[in-house]
Amino acid sequence: MVKRESPLGPALRPDLHGRSDGGSGVTLSEVTPTFMAEAAAWPGGKKILAAAIGDVTGLALPASPNAGALGAGAAAFSIGPERFFVAGSEGFAARLAAALPLETGTVTDLSHGRTAIRIAGPRAEWVLSKLFAIDFSADAFAVAEGRATAHHDITAQIQRTGATQFDIFVFRSLARSFWRILREASAEVGYEVLSGEG
Amino acid sequence: MSPRRASAGGLIDRGRSIGFTFDGRDYTGHPGDTLASALLANGVRLVGRSFKYHRPRGIFAAGADEPNALVTVLKDRVREPNIPATQIELHEGLAAESQNRFPTLDVDIGALGQLAGPLLAAGFYYKTFMGPVIGPLRGTRFWMLCERFIRHAAGLGRAGYAPDPARYEKMNAFCDVLVVGAGPAGLTAAEAAAKAGRRVILIEQEPRTGGSANWSGETISGKPARDWATALSERLAARGNLRLLTRTTAWGYYDGNTVAALERVSDHLPGAAEGVPRHRHWSIHAGKVVLASGALECPIVFPGNDRPGVMLAGAVRRYIGEYGVLPGEKLAVFTNNDSAYHAAAALKKAGGAVIAIIDVRPEIPSAARALAEEAGVAPLLGHAVVGTAGKRLSKISVQRFDAATGRLSGDVRPIDVDCLTVSGGWSPAIHLASQAGGDPVWDEARLAFLPPAPRQDWLGAGAFTGAATTAEALTSGRDAGLKAVGKRPSRAKPPTVKAPAIDPHPAPVFEIKAKGKAFVDLQHDVTAEDVRLAHREGFVSVEHLKRYTTLGMATDQGKTSNVPGLAIMAEARGLPIGEVGTTRFRPPFSPVSIGALAGERHGHFKPDRLTPMHDWHVENGARMMEVGLWHRPMIYGEPGETIEQAYVREAAAVRRSVGIVDVSTLGKIAVKGPDAAEFLDRVYTNTFSTLPGGKARYGLMLREDGIAFDDGTTWRLGEHDFLMTTTTANAGRVMQHLEYFLDIVWPDLKIHLTSVTDQWAGAAVAGPNARKVLEGCVTGTAVDTEALPFMGIVHGDIDGVPVVICRLSFSGELAYEVYCGAGYGRHVWETLWQAGVPYGIVPYGMEALGTLRIEKGHVAGAEIDGRTTARDLYLDWVLSKKKPFIGSALMDREGLIDRNRLRLVGLLSLDGQPLDSGAHIVESGGLETPGRSIGHVTAACYSPALSKYIGLALVKGGKTRHGTRAFVSDPLRKRFGPVEIASHHFFDPEGRRLHG
Amino acid sequence: MLIPCPHCGTREMSEFSYQGDATRTRPDPASADMKAWYDYLYNRPNPAGPHREYWQHTGGCRTHLLLTRDTITHEILSVAFARAGLNAAGGRP
Repeated sequence: MVKRESPLGPALRPDLHGRSDGGSGVTLSEVTPTFMAEAAAWPGGKKILAAAIGDVTGLALPASPNAGALGAGAAAFSIGPERFFVAGSEGFAARLAAALPLETGTVTDLSHGRTAIRIAGPRAEWVLSKLFAIDFSADAFAVAEGRATAHHDITAQIQRTGATQFDIFVFRSLARSFWRILREASAEVGYEVLSGEG
Repeated sequence: MSPRRASAGGLIDRGRSIGFTFDGRDYTGHPGDTLASALLANGVRLVGRSFKYHRPRGIFAAGADEPNALVTVLKDRVREPNIPATQIELHEGLAAESQNRFPTLDVDIGALGQLAGPLLAAGFYYKTFMGPVIGPLRGTRFWMLCERFIRHAAGLGRAGYAPDPARYEKMNAFCDVLVVGAGPAGLTAAEAAAKAGRRVILIEQEPRTGGSANWSGETISGKPARDWATALSERLAARGNLRLLTRTTAWGYYDGNTVAALERVSDHLPGAAEGVPRHRHWSIHAGKVVLASGALECPIVFPGNDRPGVMLAGAVRRYIGEYGVLPGEKLAVFTNNDSAYHAAAALKKAGGAVIAIIDVRPEIPSAARALAEEAGVAPLLGHAVVGTAGKRLSKISVQRFDAATGRLSGDVRPIDVDCLTVSGGWSPAIHLASQAGGDPVWDEARLAFLPPAPRQDWLGAGAFTGAATTAEALTSGRDAGLKAVGKRPSRAKPPTVKAPAIDPHPAPVFEIKAKGKAFVDLQHDVTAEDVRLAHREGFVSVEHLKRYTTLGMATDQGKTSNVPGLAIMAEARGLPIGEVGTTRFRPPFSPVSIGALAGERHGHFKPDRLTPMHDWHVENGARMMEVGLWHRPMIYGEPGETIEQAYVREAAAVRRSVGIVDVSTLGKIAVKGPDAAEFLDRVYTNTFSTLPGGKARYGLMLREDGIAFDDGTTWRLGEHDFLMTTTTANAGRVMQHLEYFLDIVWPDLKIHLTSVTDQWAGAAVAGPNARKVLEGCVTGTAVDTEALPFMGIVHGDIDGVPVVICRLSFSGELAYEVYCGAGYGRHVWETLWQAGVPYGIVPYGMEALGTLRIEKGHVAGAEIDGRTTARDLYLDWVLSKKKPFIGSALMDREGLIDRNRLRLVGLLSLDGQPLDSGAHIVESGGLETPGRSIGHVTAACYSPALSKYIGLALVKGGKTRHGTRAFVSDPLRKRFGPVEIASHHFFDPEGRRLHG
Repeated sequence: MLIPCPHCGTREMSEFSYQGDATRTRPDPASADMKAWYDYLYNRPNPAGPHREYWQHTGGCRTHLLLTRDTITHEILSVAFARAGLNAAGGRP
């Protein structure tokens, strides 16, 4: 099978861009999963939708706004009313489609359409606050929750995947520019580029 | 030691020296100095020339309220003008120069303008250039003649031409409580809120926290006030739930309790480390805001009050207390209130000689008297300063003064002094509160505007509320902090403050009327007489006064001039100040660097949208062009080729054999759901419910007003599953248009819309050999006419990658669009490329794509330009008569079906010269005198198929002109030439080739 | 100005696109009543005070919101999803 190409291209090189004092406040990596999709229900169907996604992924998804869940090899979060972003492995595609018949909703494959970039480390909230006008503090943005937001022309769907870790899903065509912007914003605190863990 | 530096005192580090230059001369100062304090310590008193009259000016204040001492900071080749010397922290290598002087600060020929003083009074520009001046001096021409000279003479610093290499960035922050100002009130407010466990941000515009505690000389809780403040600041900064930002000015109060602040991150450092910005712009979203922004001292207006050496009394206290600088040797104090007596005592204590205290009041309280005794001088009560002398102050004149009547009497007595400190009372710094809404309230006892009733979620504390003492500041700060977190005021005793008990109320004296220019607004050179002139001429409203005289409109935003200016206007009008009112304060409180507002978005700041094949294009010699955010190949030039030669070669190769073009940028929207077909029937002018599965159809959308909006093909992949394509340029707009109708107009339709533009890589393979190329690499499906007829869709594989292939054509040739997952885009492209090599496949760019579509007469964005209708473009055939659709009700309005509308035609150049889009079409005339326009060229190229320069145009009457002649007229590009108007279907009008 | 999106929470105005007056109603698509169409398309009141209007959260969940906004103070008096079915489904009130 042909290998998928990263949109970051030559811009993605494992590297250390430390501060002059040697520290690095964040690590950056590309973590695009093999399967990504938008799953949406008809108005009023969020609970059924959450349950259907749960059946396929094993995730317990609250039906509340901004809700999300993380599990082994799967992640999902709300990106709009009756709309979830689902990430995981290739096998999900057919099973999700089966779990969401037309009466319930639809699934749209975005496995190639989005690129996931992970920022982790003690200064991750600080760096992201430069780019997005949302509250990244743990009080306001709990682990597993998601946010749909934008940095000017770049729309981003963000999930908090750890106490100091966020996965940012951006349009593939804009990923290289976003990667550059994120590195520039991270330079102040020092950053290390990790090879992707996929 | 510098001549004016006290041997002890202040918060400077006398153990270290820092070198800096001012106007090219070397000086030294100490860490902790500002440029202003270091200049004063070096005995430099003349630091600039004034805006209009080029009068010598010195340092007047000690903080953000400085109106005079604006300098230009030089960093490498970058000049940053108009920075108050009081806000520049001394650092190694600092180079600054004075402004608005020629040839030098000391000898300035512009100062001759003072002789013409009366000519430059309020309203000078209006009167001179717009009014009824006689004869040749009238109007615009005269203005243009004079403008250069006036602009040269008037003004502030000069900006440089070198690009600013500094880095700027933005920061978003959220907190429960934002405290503005870290003086005694702000510190206690922040402490109370932080102890309650809330998220607190405390911002302070100065480099150090403490505010007045740094120079008041008071004690708090038995400790020197500055030690108390330092200790508390350190405790607060160590808390996890409090962020302390110094060197940060809150400059704007916006809706939703959003406060804009500018942090000067590295201005005070010799150089910034990598990635560290110079300025950081903060947008702070606060639950509650505590305004503890303190108070600003007002001057008294008197003749010669702008002389270098005249300073605010509070500023002098600060120079002594915080910087250990004595601003003069022989000092005098001029006041209408008690607070200046502190300055007198402090001057004496620091080793200065206090020659005189001149007080307009006939009597003073005992506390003030005691301070006068400390200063070692008997105050001259019931007196006023009526004049000053010296380029740098050397003498003042004093006369008996009756505060009740404002009358002067008796002899004018000269006193030799080199520094006069002045106090006209204190005004709360209510700027942010006023920005937040509401009218400030005049307080007749304090002679100051107090903050308005809050229109947003803020509370006040300390001198901002009119509090005059540190004890009040501590209590009000703590209570505001508690209230901000929903708690009741504390009953506990606040820290005890040891300070002389003084009367905060000034005498109502704002101006001493005597002979000579008395300045209200020092930065804009607005005099008391200007204010009265404005009144005489009818500009009595404070808003008009401000605009007519420019009072308060300079970079200091009238921090020292606001109250005296209003008081003089009130007197002229015979009204109380409260009735005259004040102008609403507007952002910014202090100047904000444009760089900080732009943040990281400067230079090439738009993100680049790249297709999956982008790197291939670049590696293979493509010259890229920007189409919206997208980067697309314009041509793939071979060495020595012009752009025209390249696209003609590419287009010809497509017609001759086969070419491949990247179409990944087309907008793609997944339309799914039981009502998907119904939805498409409503948004497209033609019908999609009848489209069989596995087929595509061309569709046109109109706007609601009947104007053509966008076109593209939509593919039926399944019964309830459509893939809509849009033009590259309109993808976002189409998505928004569809979402609007779904959410608002047809909420009952069950469909979902998802942008899948980035999911798919797309390559169009076009030309007589296109099918052979596919046959060479596609597996899992046949691609012959039977399996894949025109507008048919098949699923297959290319080298193991699943692909969707649709047979459709923009070029007019046999053509296929091949789509695959974007991550495989380059691989599939390269495989198609390899399969095409035997047929001489060429990659082609936007220019060739455009050429092919012009030859075919296919419309694109240049024709669907937001003004044309479907009928204008001869797309009537796609307008269904069987159903309503968006735009159907209004598309046939009278004006939209007028026979003289601009309609689509083709153009053939008759003189063998190129046509240019944008050129007009005329029926007569010549290059210099073209006739009336009957339309314009929308697209043009050299057509290899016709061996002619051709174009598309929108021309009055359209088709009715086929076969007639006209001219293209393009005076800007010096082009005028004959053309034939023809059908826009230039090439293969029957469409035989695409069915080939 | 901040807009409280029922799904995403309070966000800056820059994430939203103004989508027009919400007091007008679209005529029946087949209607030929030109006056009704003109009113729908072109005629707008411009009230100083509360105004019902649509905003799309283009930089967020992309839904259209129905706001009542005071045009003088920018105060947002009410907000809901424009698509009524979504409100019943448990968006924030």
